[in-house]
Amino acid sequence: MKKIVFLTALFCTLYACKRDDIAAPFKFDNPEISLKIPEGFPTLNNAIENNKPTKYGVQLGEKLFHDTRLSANNTVSCASCHKQGNAFADNNIQALGIEGRVGLRNVPPIQNMAFMKFYNWDGAKLALENQVLVPIITHEEMNSSILEVVDKIKNDSEYKVLFKKAFGDDAVKQERIYRSIAQYEYTLISANSKYDRVKLKGEQFTESEARGYQAFKVKCESCHSTELFTDQSFRNVGFPLNPSTEEAGRARVSGAEADFMRFRVPSLRNAEYTAPYGSFGQFATLMDVLDYFDKSVLDADNLDPILKQNGNRIPLSAQEKQDIISFIKTLSDKDFVGR
Amino acid sequence: MNTLKKYSFLILALSVFVSCKKDKDPVANNINLHFNNTFKDKTIVLGDAASSTATVNASANGQVHHFSELKYVISNIRVIKADGTAIPYNINNLDEGATVINQAKAQSLDYVLGNIPVGEYKQIKFGLGVKADLNTLNEAKFPKFYAAAGANDTKMMWEWGAGYRFTKIEGFYDTDNKTLSIHTGSTVEGTNGDEATYTQGVDAYRDITLSLPKLAVVGKNAPKITIKADFDKLLSGKTNTIALGGDNAVPSVHTAVNMVKYVDNLGGNGTSDLSGMFSIASVKN
Repeated sequence: MKKIVFLTALFCTLYACKRDDIAAPFKFDNPEISLKIPEGFPTLNNAIENNKPTKYGVQLGEKLFHDTRLSANNTVSCASCHKQGNAFADNNIQALGIEGRVGLRNVPPIQNMAFMKFYNWDGAKLALENQVLVPIITHEEMNSSILEVVDKIKNDSEYKVLFKKAFGDDAVKQERIYRSIAQYEYTLISANSKYDRVKLKGEQFTESEARGYQAFKVKCESCHSTELFTDQSFRNVGFPLNPSTEEAGRARVSGAEADFMRFRVPSLRNAEYTAPYGSFGQFATLMDVLDYFDKSVLDADNLDPILKQNGNRIPLSAQEKQDIISFIKTLSDKDFVGR
Repeated sequence: MNTLKKYSFLILALSVFVSCKKDKDPVANNINLHFNNTFKDKTIVLGDAASSTATVNASANGQVHHFSELKYVISNIRVIKADGTAIPYNINNLDEGATVINQAKAQSLDYVLGNIPVGEYKQIKFGLGVKADLNTLNEAKFPKFYAAAGANDTKMMWEWGAGYRFTKIEGFYDTDNKTLSIHTGSTVEGTNGDEATYTQGVDAYRDITLSLPKLAVVGKNAPKITIKADFDKLLSGKTNTIALGGDNAVPSVHTAVNMVKYVDNLGGNGTSDLSGMFSIASVKN
């Protein structure tokens, strides 16, 4: 009996030792990152409440964002279309996916997403976590599937470490991919443009920029309002129509005739870097956009009332156009785009 | 050797006994569903623009049309006993309880409901499309259905809506064979399945209720229920009469615009019409 007790004790001791040796306790330490909300910005999207960015969640998301293995043939990452130098958009007319496939629309910039209520040109998604899957599976974008992605990266030792640091264990799960990429995107905040410094730090506009700002307030601000320079509404401003039967603007989602070819008013921050313009890149330059508004836009039953009241146009003098463009360029954030 | 013989005999006896018992008194059996896709009473034959064999239909407005592709998703199947008890068939599992009916694939027109408790059934309910709480393209959860719907010859996904296509109809209309292309699917956003939280979008899922002309008896035999899906209703439905290319309908529906008219015709409007294009053609016990 004594022998057995002794042996058992010995075994327990040994076992305990062994366990300690192989599994040094993993200390889960993944602090939340507090998002710096720039002065005057709208409130955060509610989804963030359930997916607060963390140190390693964001690191993981950034790595995934730049990983071409998210596409079927390992050629396209999120960053292939969402390039930092273009405020996480690109300069193509319409998005280019794997094998040169052309998408339906112009790539929207990924900036200040934490403050947006709607995503995509048609506002199809209300939370970034739900958007991540869409480009992964879309034929014209990455043409893959989430399990294909999981399979490709699940044995990658760098990912294992990051998933563990971000989520407590190294399992590569679809929800974790969605959440970490969204977390990374929440941290892409652009609020250090000349405009911001003029407002907050006493920098001075040039004469043209100052005139442009005044003209902007009269001619543009009804839609491009707030510190995001969009009121996040959906409007038909009479731009040339995308001939694809896949396109209906906001009505693609809502089904309402009144929303036909209405699009989300885009932010003008970093617009200097995101040419061409319009939902499918109808305009090569900012001047083209202003010329079009000045000349006359396409009529429609649901054309925005502001345009209707002004004879389907926004009259602008040559000087005003120059000045407004000078002002829009003060919304460029060189730190954000890394230029 | 002797022992072995004994055991063999016992096992043999036991199997006989078990099989006897099964024969006499099954606790469950199959219900075989067959889908017959028609224009009125004619089973649809698909064909390309110039096809001479395709089944041609004329709408209430006199517009001729025929299809080259015809697919739809059936899910959330429930069979209702004579006493009113509902037997749900894997309603929360798309892999085991949902299917893509594809007119181009004969075997897809038959769907077997396995392990249905014996008894008499008076009604069948099912969904045209996928109910909102399951309509998320969750590949990890339902890999079989995801793969079937996403296959290159099926293409039943609405990627941008992160959901499944519920119906996909390709074809031609008018005597000059203009292209017709009608896709339906949901665009609702919110907490899936909780309508109170829906903030935007259209739910294209339709719940169908069909009463059986005679009781389907699940017992020693597996009954066969033939469901007719009359695509004449697409343009000439109980809810809407549609003239393609006219004021009230573009012939290419790939978004939520105009879609609901077709959805209501195919799957009913959810209130006064709970059958849409579907009816029971026959029940064979």
